[in-house]
Amino acid sequence: MTDEKKPKKGGILSVFKDIVYGMSSHEMTRHAVRTRASMEHLFILITMGDLLGVPILPPYYSLRLLPYVTPQISSWKRRMLRERDITDVLG
Amino acid sequence: MSLRTVFESQPDRRYIMFGGKGGLGKTTLSATCAFWLASQGKRVLLFSVDPQASLSDIFQKDIFGKGPVPIMQNLWAQEVDADRRIKEYQEEIRKKILDMYGFDRVPEEIDNYIAAASAEPAMEESAIFDAVVDIIVQGDYDYYIYDLVPLGHALYYLSMAKVYDEWINKITKLREDMRQYDQVAATMRREETMEEDKILGELIYIKERINASSRILTDKRQTAFFFVVVPEEMIILDTKKAAELFAKFDVPLSGYVVNRVLPPDLGAGRIPEYLRNRITMQQRYMKDIQSAFGAQILAYVPEMERDITGLPMIERLAKRLFEEGPKA
Repeated sequence: MTDEKKPKKGGILSVFKDIVYGMSSHEMTRHAVRTRASMEHLFILITMGDLLGVPILPPYYSLRLLPYVTPQISSWKRRMLRERDITDVLG
Repeated sequence: MSLRTVFESQPDRRYIMFGGKGGLGKTTLSATCAFWLASQGKRVLLFSVDPQASLSDIFQKDIFGKGPVPIMQNLWAQEVDADRRIKEYQEEIRKKILDMYGFDRVPEEIDNYIAAASAEPAMEESAIFDAVVDIIVQGDYDYYIYDLVPLGHALYYLSMAKVYDEWINKITKLREDMRQYDQVAATMRREETMEEDKILGELIYIKERINASSRILTDKRQTAFFFVVVPEEMIILDTKKAAELFAKFDVPLSGYVVNRVLPPDLGAGRIPEYLRNRITMQQRYMKDIQSAFGAQILAYVPEMERDITGLPMIERLAKRLFEEGPKA
């Protein structure tokens, strides 16, 4: 977007495209990404529930999935264990 | 029908199991059957995943955790060390995490989880059945004789396999939905390449493994399951119950083998009262067994004068079982 070396015409076109994207689909993309993140947390809960003391999938098999979700584990735990109040519902 | 005709008339049945309560002679019959098939020129692997396996005892050779060990021509025996398998599996997971993210050490939280997961009882059962799948997938034997862990475990596993299978289907569905959202976001941002979902691949792998292990127990074309029973009241009752349960899980039951039958000529002449009572009692239970299982009885195994250990004793029993047919 801020790349000044690009030809001016391309620059204007690209800015225009970004504006259109921002107006039309940015909100939808954000929604898709957020839903995807919630599902990710649900998925980790189902497969790694043991980490919170909720055993669901047999541990032999959940261990196979563990390496793939390792980076998400701490954010997932924070989200699952945080306290909730009325603003969560309103927000 | 005799044991021999069962094997000769159904050559496709390559996965052979003897089931029954502990101490009824499953290992003895498995070894005898393996010996006979091997002496007929078939390549046979007799294996056990029981932590208290007794193949080492019956062959008088330490084979625990050593892979398939040759016992005689065409016959191999293997005892899987489930504990070691679980430890190796944990190490594999740790190594994968280190490799994937270039960590120096596995994060403490994750490491604790790996350690805790292995302490669960379901861990051992899954590891055992996974080991069975490995053995059957990797080998090239004509027959696999599986010296089963006591029946309860097999039934527990079969019932769990059904539940797991449904679970995995649900989780796979969730994963596919997630993939769709990824796709939506990628399209809107006009990104073209999307990484393949490795987790989805793993889920499909897990599903196949669970199905493969329960299929080995329930495949009507390839599996023969024999019940071992002895002429005692409790055992007969338990066997009837177990047979009903197995039928519910579609385990193809091929017949019954009656073990520990006292030789009929034992009752002749003057014998102590105690022994006579035991013999009369056994004759009564033999009638019960015949009326309960009738034509499904494939062999009567006499109580031998000494324990069945070592190849010469196994050979004697094999002759008795496979060459003389069923007779009480």
